[in-house]
Amino acid sequence: MSDAALVLFLEASVRLGVPLALAALGEAITERSGVINIGLEGSLIAGALGGALASLALGSGEAGVLAGAGAGLVVALVFAAFSVGLGTDQIITGTAITLGGLGFTGAVYQASFGAGGAALTLPTLPALRIPVLADIPWIGTALFAQAPTAYLAYLLAPALWYFLFRTPWGLELRACGEHPDAARAAGVRVLRVRLAATLFGGALAGLAGAHLALAHAGTFAENMSAGRGFIAIAVVALGRWNPMLVLIAALFFGAAAALQFLLQAVGLDLPYQFFLALPYVVTLAALAGRVGRARAPAALALPWPKPS
Amino acid sequence: MTRVLARLERIERRFGAVQALASADLEVRAGEVHAVLGENGAGKSTLLGVLGGMLRPDAGAYAIGGEPVNLDGPRDAWARGIGLVHQHFMLVPALTVLENLALGRRQHTRGLSIDYGRVAAEVSTLMDETGLVVPLDERVEGLSVGVKQRVEILKTLLRAPVLVALDEPTAALAPAEIVSLFGLLRQLASAGRGVVLVAHKIDEVLGVADRVTVLRRGRTVLSEPRDRVDATRLVKAMVGGEPPSAALVGAARAPGFPDGPPDRPRGPVIATLEDVVVRDESGRASLDHASLAVHRGEIVGVAGIEGSGQRELALVLAGRRRPDGGEASVPSGVGFVPQDRTAEALIGDFDLVENVALAMHADARVASGARMRWAAAREQAEDVRSRFGVVSPDVDVPARELSGGNQQRLVVGREMLLAKDLLVAENPARGLDVSATAFVHAELRRVTREEGGPGVLLVSNDLDEALALSDRLFVMTRGRLVPVPEGQRTREGVGALMLGGAGASGAPDANA
Amino acid sequence: MPDARRSLARWARSPVVVAAGAVALTAGVAGVLLALGGYDPWAAASAAAVGAFGSPEAVLSITAVRAVPLVLTGLGVTLAFRAGTWNIGAEGQLYAGAVAGVWVGLVGGGLPGWVLVPVLLGAACVGGALWASVPILMKLRLGVSEVITSLLMSFVAINLAAYMVHGPLQEPRGVFPQTAPIAEAARLPALVPGTRLHVGALIALALAAALWWFLRETRFGFQVRAVGASRTAAAVAGRIDADRVMLFAFLTSGALAGLAGGVQVAGVTYALYEGLSPGWGYTAIAVALLAGLHPLGVLVTGLLFGALDAGAAAMQREAAVPAVWATAVQALVILAVLALGRAQRHLRAEVVRV
Repeated sequence: MSDAALVLFLEASVRLGVPLALAALGEAITERSGVINIGLEGSLIAGALGGALASLALGSGEAGVLAGAGAGLVVALVFAAFSVGLGTDQIITGTAITLGGLGFTGAVYQASFGAGGAALTLPTLPALRIPVLADIPWIGTALFAQAPTAYLAYLLAPALWYFLFRTPWGLELRACGEHPDAARAAGVRVLRVRLAATLFGGALAGLAGAHLALAHAGTFAENMSAGRGFIAIAVVALGRWNPMLVLIAALFFGAAAALQFLLQAVGLDLPYQFFLALPYVVTLAALAGRVGRARAPAALALPWPKPS
Repeated sequence: MTRVLARLERIERRFGAVQALASADLEVRAGEVHAVLGENGAGKSTLLGVLGGMLRPDAGAYAIGGEPVNLDGPRDAWARGIGLVHQHFMLVPALTVLENLALGRRQHTRGLSIDYGRVAAEVSTLMDETGLVVPLDERVEGLSVGVKQRVEILKTLLRAPVLVALDEPTAALAPAEIVSLFGLLRQLASAGRGVVLVAHKIDEVLGVADRVTVLRRGRTVLSEPRDRVDATRLVKAMVGGEPPSAALVGAARAPGFPDGPPDRPRGPVIATLEDVVVRDESGRASLDHASLAVHRGEIVGVAGIEGSGQRELALVLAGRRRPDGGEASVPSGVGFVPQDRTAEALIGDFDLVENVALAMHADARVASGARMRWAAAREQAEDVRSRFGVVSPDVDVPARELSGGNQQRLVVGREMLLAKDLLVAENPARGLDVSATAFVHAELRRVTREEGGPGVLLVSNDLDEALALSDRLFVMTRGRLVPVPEGQRTREGVGALMLGGAGASGAPDANA
Repeated sequence: MPDARRSLARWARSPVVVAAGAVALTAGVAGVLLALGGYDPWAAASAAAVGAFGSPEAVLSITAVRAVPLVLTGLGVTLAFRAGTWNIGAEGQLYAGAVAGVWVGLVGGGLPGWVLVPVLLGAACVGGALWASVPILMKLRLGVSEVITSLLMSFVAINLAAYMVHGPLQEPRGVFPQTAPIAEAARLPALVPGTRLHVGALIALALAAALWWFLRETRFGFQVRAVGASRTAAAVAGRIDADRVMLFAFLTSGALAGLAGGVQVAGVTYALYEGLSPGWGYTAIAVALLAGLHPLGVLVTGLLFGALDAGAAAMQREAAVPAVWATAVQALVILAVLALGRAQRHLRAEVVRV
């Protein structure tokens, strides 16, 4: 296998891993506060569509990214209204949000561009090359010649780590996810914290979706999220709800998805569907392997206040 | 005249259809330990919730330092120096003691991060002043109940130096720990603080209080200095109505109220444990080579600090858990009254018939072969309802709609139907008012007196209950069963054994 | 007065009230959203209604036929949810069953119909149960949430089915990504001659009744309900082996979803191709929840969503509303059921404490 093929593989790994990382980092914060957002997929696809529409309307990829984050936030707001506000079951609510997200984005897309689904071409986010760092052999271009959203992921991971483990708000957020009654008794406004954490996660997922449409695919297609939201949730667990580990896990999954390039370069000729299925299989295998050692936030997915 | 720190007057509060407080008054003075007494359900915790700002009153006046206030959450109360120490600890298990003490207080920051050094310094000062010592860097989940309570008290004192209210702090403590707790309370009071102590055990409280208030059905019915009241007057106030019978006074006071069995032979052995070991997830032995034989017609009592292995003992004897080592021989006709009735004994959404069927679905009276016999199950449920006095409109209401006392009647009745050989009961009177408690205790005694009646294993955190009911008494400490010799059947004696002190004799023989 | 409150509370407790309320609420919200999108809600609704119920042909050949896989998967989801397990992967189990079933239908040509059909359907059940075994075993043995794993398995199954129709099972000419038609003997006979309604509808009906009877009258069914209501109480008070119960419920749930795939292949399409299911496995969640997790209710809600499915196609033709709106409506239904369910609980809490 040539050097060029390896570098291509590394570049693809990062490029594919970034949307996962963004969504997973956001979800890590959400889950640390005690909420599991199965509707993340809905935020992601909404971000993709929102980003696509905004970049077309306003002619800029940057505007698209912001719009994508906004769209993801709105979807998460609906989710939070039910699960945090009303206290409905988080799993079912999240499933509904995902269904709704996929359905509504499909509807809006078809209404805007017709049911034929001619492929759009979008003004994309150009790759931003960081001088000096991008010249490092092997990993330079992979890590430092990516769309700006990648750099956001690199910066967010340590920032969120610091937030969670060093700041008073991070302590309060963690308390909400472990023992919300104790948090409340300590004066923390649990529902507000959970709402903020959920919105944050939704915005990041929306951002990830916009990245998918604008930096990765350069177009929008229905259901293009392809379950990345769910994989992101798995990545959070594999990263033990620790932002630094979550980033690494996400990049690792990006590599699994990029594996098809590597294997094809090596000459391995497997059916195309195998490669499509690979990320999901790898996720399942990883979940099977690493479980039991990481402990989820104790109050995760439990409605609070407790229903009478 | 000592300074009035806080005054609550004619406080009202309802939850849904339940009027928890109808007209409650409380006046807390500096330098005093003020005890608030009342049965379970009298409204003590609710009153404390109002005092601490966790609950808003529907009506009534609340004045702090002479100024009327309208508290908007616990932070508001802390700002005025009033804090609560909860009965169920409000500590985050996964965080360390220091983190728990720093939680929610945003004072000590260095830039964006928490300055744990300053928090630790502040805590150390307080620890020196009060004599309460806790390990700052350990996670809360690994601490014993007594230490957790100290952390909880420290947490409250850090934020609220003026008035501290404790909600039933003695429930999970050994007698010696209760003594040191009360010493601490007196110390806090003499330093000029106001201390409120909520309890339902009269004798405990009479020893430490300067002033006593009694709540009954959400109203303050008595509020006097300590030296003007005695136990009988207090019980009368708590229970109301007729002058209470000696039995009722006993039940409310109950230090070793001996209503022991008449001398009669107990029956044959129906359950044995030999060198039984039960391990928890981390491999530690929660039950460490325990041996016991239970006979028909006797009540075997097991006292001990929570977490000493009683739960595992109960689960093994009730057939819910197989031992990891040793031999357990358990009969088939077993009834189990677990300690958490809403989570473990009943399904709130199921009606009474289904809840009875829940325990009896393997029993031919309620199911035959693969099919349920709902008509028969209904009959059983009606039977339990009438015989055990479960108050409900019919058997079709969901169990969650019953009051705690009626739920427990249902559970006890249902399990008695199954307990032909053995009845295992964990804290069966927990959270029940005096009449329901008396009922449960009477049932336990009655069933063992019957011809061919079962044996009873009674696990109890309530020393008085254990002392009053047991024919044979054991103490569970660190996974081992230690028999309590006749001469040591007092609170002090048992208390010493609970904390691992030496008994009168040497090696125990639990099969005697 | 307390009696009136109690009867009100009991009435409010009824799942039928919640379902009716949810439908009304959804219709209202959908109408508003359609209007906001520039469509005419009334035209859309009437087009949909005509498309679903306008003629006997519509009712039998379209609505009822579409209801069959919805009822079957809905029953599967109902059983799993009743046991307290979340089977979100019914879609994947459906495809697994379809693959297994179509394989039998292709290779079993020599056998007579009365043997081949049960074998085909049985294989479909086994395929679905096998697919469901991965998430539930990972949950019971490893403590991994079955929500994520069953979803991931769905994606794998869809790709597996795609691979099959592009590769090993592809029709002999190798032109289209679909299988050859299955043997004549493997096909389900028509229930009403002249329509597309097949015997699978009877199977769905029978299974609905069977599940209802199972949950209500049998000991094991009671255990399922108990575990779903409170795993702890079932284990402690009822001495029920919760793991065993959940395993059974989840595997059977998978089998039912797989059966839906097999029935669809044997009764309607006679072949397998990509996109066999337009998301029935997910719609099944809405079907089950709207039915209040009641097996007989699933018959009604399955028909309702079948009508929605049939109506959506008509709606697109007549009122130019994209058919994908049906997916959005499903989401609205679930949210409406959840919200009303919470309101119902709130009402219950007000009932006089006895």
